[in-house]
Formats: sequence, structure tokens, C-alpha cells
Amino acid sequence: MAKHETPLLDQLETGPWPSFVTDLKRQAETKPECWDILGILELSYKDRITHWKHGGIVGVFGYGGGIVGRYADMPKQFPGVEHFHTIRVAQPASKYYSTANLRQLMALWEKHGSGMTNFHGSTGDIILLGTRTENLEPFFWDLTHDMGQDLGGSGSNLRTPANCIGMSRCEWSCYDTEEACHHLTMTYQDEIHRPAFPYKFKFKFSGCPNDCVAAIARSDISVIGTWRDNIRIDQAAVKEYIAGNYPSNGGAHSGRDWGKFDIEKEVIALCPTNCMWMEGGELKIDDKECTRCMHCINVLPRALRPGADQGASVCVGAKAPILDGAQFSTLILPFIKVTKDNDFEELIEFIEKVWDWWMEVGKNRERVGETMQRVGLPTFLSVMGVEPIPQHIKEPRSNPYVFWKEEEVEGGFERDIREFRARHAA
Amino acid sequence: MALSKEELKDAIEEKAKKSPKPQLYIKDFYACDPDTKPRDMKNVANEMVREGRLAFWSSGSTTMYGIPSRIQNEEH
Repeated sequence: MAKHETPLLDQLETGPWPSFVTDLKRQAETKPECWDILGILELSYKDRITHWKHGGIVGVFGYGGGIVGRYADMPKQFPGVEHFHTIRVAQPASKYYSTANLRQLMALWEKHGSGMTNFHGSTGDIILLGTRTENLEPFFWDLTHDMGQDLGGSGSNLRTPANCIGMSRCEWSCYDTEEACHHLTMTYQDEIHRPAFPYKFKFKFSGCPNDCVAAIARSDISVIGTWRDNIRIDQAAVKEYIAGNYPSNGGAHSGRDWGKFDIEKEVIALCPTNCMWMEGGELKIDDKECTRCMHCINVLPRALRPGADQGASVCVGAKAPILDGAQFSTLILPFIKVTKDNDFEELIEFIEKVWDWWMEVGKNRERVGETMQRVGLPTFLSVMGVEPIPQHIKEPRSNPYVFWKEEEVEGGFERDIREFRARHAA
Repeated sequence: MALSKEELKDAIEEKAKKSPKPQLYIKDFYACDPDTKPRDMKNVANEMVREGRLAFWSSGSTTMYGIPSRIQNEEH
């Protein structure tokens, strides 16, 4: 029996897609507070204003993240959602779950919360929606002691690091993303659980430039696998693709007849830097022009592989709604070795250099990409001690202002004007 | 010269008490001692939370600090 009339929400159930309203009604059969979610949302649709109060002081002892306070501003009318806090639980690396783990987590959430979840939040965490303040510590105790899992990051913390499946299942991964993600998660426990920064900070690890974890679009430091030698070519396999004996794209588009495979049209002509051609029946690549778009490797996976000298490019500063719209992170380090052999030393050194600078120079609620944009890339590179290279330049000749430092100019800024005029008449 | 840890804690508490706003960003505390590095400042502020002298206030995206009683009054 519905506790509130919800004619506006009911309309959402009439479309062709599964509806969250139906889900909530079903959940309300065992969790009556879910009726109050429907009730308060219906009222918000009528009033055209939210009835949620944003933020709060809730948390678990010793942690400054992982719990997001949410309260209703009409607790008498909707007592079930007077408190409706969100809990962020750190996801396992690559989001590998066992069904036993998921069942245990759901049982725990039915016991301490509303039973509503979001798999997964944008950062990657498991999001558990809706519980009261007095349930937080018991939930946290059971999560950490019975399940051995931990809360994720929220607020001005390092957010839960995320990675692609990496070498566990993908032959293109140029470094061990799971090892890197796990190592940095353990190294920065303090930064994940206690606020450290002017605003949120995220890093994500992708094993190759396909960037399956979308690091370049979503993280302040994106570590994206790459190689610095040549794409490995199996010419015999190239011939098999041309003959139609191997399905292109690993058979991913085989549900429809696309006609005979045409390497000129489907691979060579689509190379963004025109660095491929056929010669004497063999595929040739001018590797120094390759921008790692991965298209040829994706289309011909049995013939082409990333090079053997592998590592990662490090980009900095992605953010969704930045000043000029969504911003990808900017390439800063074209290649570093990312390996457990030296405990990811090179990467950690770079991360901490970025943090030290941003904590000092960044404004409140300013992501590192915005700070970079404010001070300019040349200043950022100089502070990081990175020598500028052509790949740092988005487009040449668009900015006429080049500010040389005296030490960069042969002979400095001092000159003999008479000697100059002898050669260049006024 | 940098303040001692206890002097810094007192300065932070004083600033949080006197501020017109009940919640402050971590950067607002930097002025308490310009010689203390930002990472040391956040360590001290977090230690004060453990001691109950400060409390976190989080919107979900940003975390701020304040005197616990002042923030609680603001909440209700």
C-alpha cells in the first residue's frame, strides 16, 4: 500500500525502459523508508526545488571521507529520509568481484541501510544510498572486520584510485595497472581517508592508450600505458586479414555483413597521422609519427601489438565542467617506466611534486587542471622541472607571446648597442 | 620561524573560533603560520580532529574544518 500519492513519478513507469520508480516501490515492500524517497521526490517535482540538505559533519571515527551527509528538510513529513547518508565503499581493483562478496555486502546493507545502491559512482566506488547517523559506526565495523573492505574517498581527499583490467586479462597492457593501483592505494591511505587538499584529487591507471578506464577524461593524474619503440608487426597475420581468413576487430562487428575487409580503407586511410602504407605486400609503419591512437592495433589484433619497450605517459589536469567546458588531462611526461621493481618511485615522486605545488598555489575548490590553466603550462612545466617538448603544444603559433628567461638566451639580456647597430642600422 | 605544533594548534583553534564563518577551508589556516608547509598543516588539522578540537564538515565534494560546537549549531 503506497504511503504517498505519486502521480508524477508514476508517469515515469510508463516508458519503454526499466524505471527506478518501479525499483523503489519494490524495495519499499521491505524497506518502508523508500516510500518517503518517492514522496519527497514527488514533492520536489511539484515544488520544483530540492528538499535535500547538502553535506554535514557525519563520518566514522578516524576518517574524514567515505561518508556523505544527506538530510531531508521536511523530516516530519518524510521521517524515513530524515537522515539519508551516502556511504562510499572502495571497489576492488579492476572491479573483480566474487558473487559471495557481493551477497555479503548486500546483506550488510539490508541490515544497516536502505538496501539501495549505485554500482558504481563516477569515481568507481560502490555507492550505498541511505542510512541514519546511528547506523554508520556499526556498518563500518562489520565492513572492515567481517568483510575486510574499506571506505572510499570523498570530500577534499584523494579519491579511490581506479584502474582498467590491465595484465590480468588484456595483452595490450603496457604495465601492471592493478599492481600500480594497489601500491598507490596502500601508499596514500592517509590522503584517501583524511582530507588533504584544496579540493578532490583523482588518479586512474589505464594499461594502454585505449584508456578503458577513461583516465584522460576523469582524473587529475592519468597514467596511460604506452611504448617507445615500434609497433610489433606479424606480416603473415596481416596477409591473413587481407585474405579474409581472420575477422577484423577480433570479430567485434561480425553481427552484420560489412563486405570484404579492405586494409587501405579500414586501417591505412584512417590513421590520423598517415604513417602507414603497404609496400611489396607488407604493412609498413613510420613509428616516429605514430600518436598511439590504437586504431590499427584494435582492427588487426593478431597482426599488430604495442612495442616491447613499455611504460606509461603521465597526463595531468582532467575535469568535467572546467572553465571552457570539459577538459582532458594534458600530457606532461611522455614516457616513464611504471614498475614495482623500484616501488613506482618515479611516479610517486612526480605525484608528490604536483601535490606540493597545488596545495600551495591552488585556490579553494580549484582542481589541479584549473590551477594549471590559470598559471599557464610553461609555468607548470617549469615548476615540475620538465623540459618542454613539441608534444606539450596543443597547436603551434596560436600564442605570439614567448617569454624567454635570461638564462635561456645566449649572452643574456645585456648587449652592446653600438656593436648591434653596426650590424643593424636603425 | 615556524610555530611549534602546540602553538600552531592554538592559532588554528583561535582562527576557527573568531572566523565569521563556522567552516573554514584548510587553506584558510595557512595564514596561521606561513612557515608551515601545506602538508604539515593538514596533518596538524587532522590531528586536531582526532583530539576533538576541530570537526570535519563535508559537502561530499569538499571538506571544511570548524569548531565542533559551532558547526553543530549551524546544522540545527
